[in-house]
Amino acid sequence: MTAGLRHLRRGRRRTVLAALAVFVPVFLLVVFLGMIGGMEKEMFASLTGFDTGHFQIRRATDRPASGALPLVRDPAPLLAVVEASTQVTWYTVRLDLPALAAAAERSLGVVVQGVRPADAAESPFARAVTSGRYLEPGDEGVVVGRQLLDALGLSLGDEMILLGAHPQGTAGVAVPRIVGVFDLPDPALGRGLVHVDLGVAQRLVRSPAVTAVVGYVRGVEGPWDTPRIAEAVARLRAHLPEGYEVLDWAQLGPESLGFMRLMRPIVVGFMVAFFFLGGLVVLNTLYLSVLERTRELGIILALGAPRRYVMRQVLLESGLLATGAAVAGAALGLGFVLVVEAVGGFPLPGAYEEVTALFGMQPHLRMRVTAAEVAMAAVAMVAVAVAAAWYPARRAAALEPLETMRHAN
Amino acid sequence: MRTEAVVEARGVHKVYVAGTVQTPALNGVDVTLSRGEFAAMAGPSGSGKSTLLHLLGGLDRPTDGEIYLDGRAMSGLSKDELARLRLTRIGFVFQAYNLIPVLTVVENTAFVLELQGIPYRERLRRARAILAELGVEKYANQFPNRLSGGEQQRVAVARAVVSEPAIVLADEPTANLDTRTSLDLIDLMRRMNEEHTTTFLFATHDTRLLDRVDRVIGLEDGRIARDERVR
Ligand SMILES: Nc1ncnc2c1ncn2[C@@H]1O[C@H](COP(=O)(O)OP(=O)(O)O)[C@@H](O)[C@H]1O
Ligand SMILES: [Mg+2]
Repeated sequence: MTAGLRHLRRGRRRTVLAALAVFVPVFLLVVFLGMIGGMEKEMFASLTGFDTGHFQIRRATDRPASGALPLVRDPAPLLAVVEASTQVTWYTVRLDLPALAAAAERSLGVVVQGVRPADAAESPFARAVTSGRYLEPGDEGVVVGRQLLDALGLSLGDEMILLGAHPQGTAGVAVPRIVGVFDLPDPALGRGLVHVDLGVAQRLVRSPAVTAVVGYVRGVEGPWDTPRIAEAVARLRAHLPEGYEVLDWAQLGPESLGFMRLMRPIVVGFMVAFFFLGGLVVLNTLYLSVLERTRELGIILALGAPRRYVMRQVLLESGLLATGAAVAGAALGLGFVLVVEAVGGFPLPGAYEEVTALFGMQPHLRMRVTAAEVAMAAVAMVAVAVAAAWYPARRAAALEPLETMRHAN
Repeated sequence: MRTEAVVEARGVHKVYVAGTVQTPALNGVDVTLSRGEFAAMAGPSGSGKSTLLHLLGGLDRPTDGEIYLDGRAMSGLSKDELARLRLTRIGFVFQAYNLIPVLTVVENTAFVLELQGIPYRERLRRARAILAELGVEKYANQFPNRLSGGEQQRVAVARAVVSEPAIVLADEPTANLDTRTSLDLIDLMRRMNEEHTTTFLFATHDTRLLDRVDRVIGLEDGRIARDERVR
């Protein structure tokens, strides 16, 4: 072991190179995993934060042919079940219904989302309000997208006629004033969705109905916590009355999910190549080091050292080098992630803003790694380095003592 | 004194083959070294001294004939068994660069004991004791490149005798040393021979060293030209 350390110290330039070849991939892997983890967490938060929740309870029967969500006319039993669950930390209700939005001359089909304004205050719609304000509790107003406003030729402060068109509701009418306008990058949402207070929406179906209970589960931070959600969902299912279904976030928002699922394998694939390169550098380093020490290894063998001793020495040397460099890489990578998190993320250059906005995220890079990911990165690289040392180790052990002494003399 | 054969060569031939070129190095050598002997092998360069030492030490195998160590034929041993034999029964001193550069003097000396599995404290104690006997204990924690050639060879002798082998084989150990240092080294080897009853056989072509040994084995063209007790 001391001999191994001294060999590393003696071939310092080579050792530094090989150590970097181990350090850099481990550091990068931890940082990349941190970026992915952070993005997943952000995307998950934005997706589930308002839109899907961790799960939704909906009516499973009496689905209207039009694709509108079936009405739950009496949500009280559902709320009682959710309230009784110890795993659900928070919930809200929503009423989504098809409606006709009309102005003096024109009308358009839209989806009215009736929300509890306090519960939706963090939604992407609330954040995207660029003129006026978002809904307040008990609000009689409506918040609309810029595109809809333009299409109907209306402006902030005007009244808009909403005609409920839910197949299971008795068509109601409301004439809310436009109190806020949101600008979303997705024009379909901007043209097709309006937000009103739940009470206003219920008047459009003339019933105290909702279409979904949106719930959140304790201790869930990202997609990796899906098993917790599944467990909570399973319990809820067991207690719900007949005719209801519980859908989790993955079933409710499948498009972003595909992207999320792709990122990790892509990065891991890249890193496999990096690790492989690191392994090659280690191999080359040890091979040169063995060549340089031919005479010394010859003496050791002449003195009667078993071949496995010589082999073990070379493997030990690579193990020492790789462990030191991999631990340093993992520690610095982890440190980087923690520092970025400590300062509240890393502002991304402007060009990324549109991309992040598409997923409802802030143009800030957040990072997150788990201890298991950090450990895995380091252990995998050490394993690669020791495997790469196998060939030089075999070469060293196969030296013929007399041959080596003749060459070196 | 009972004469107990430590190592014995019987009808040993060695031919080096490199491609189509065959170089005969030993042409029928018979020689026996007894326990406690202090012998020199003399002869001009190319006469086969190194070859014979390598065969006696189990570093190479004869083309014909047999070598016996402690009465056991070596030809039946596998490579690993030969290595084990070298480790436990034979001490080597080569012409130069004997020491492992990344180990200190005491670590070099204790190295064979480590390979034999002797516990740390015990091997350190033995290494220090032998270094003291050879007058180089003050370099114990130095690296070999800080020592002069003569000092390095003393450490090499220390390492060769520390495990109390049956025989120490030294191949021109004084070739790179001046006369004074050479004579001192031979005297030290002689002392080790007397105090530890270790058998020594060293090759040399320096005739000034020959009046310090018990026996001179003269090699010429791969044959034993003379073999006489001189004391
Ligand atoms: N590995 C080898 N391959 C071919 N010929 C060798 C080899 N080693 C020694 N020889 C030849 O064997 C003969 C004896 O060499 P050696 O034992 O080294 O003699 P000495 O040690 O007395 O100088 C010489 O002719 C030498 O050239
Ligand atoms: Mg020679």
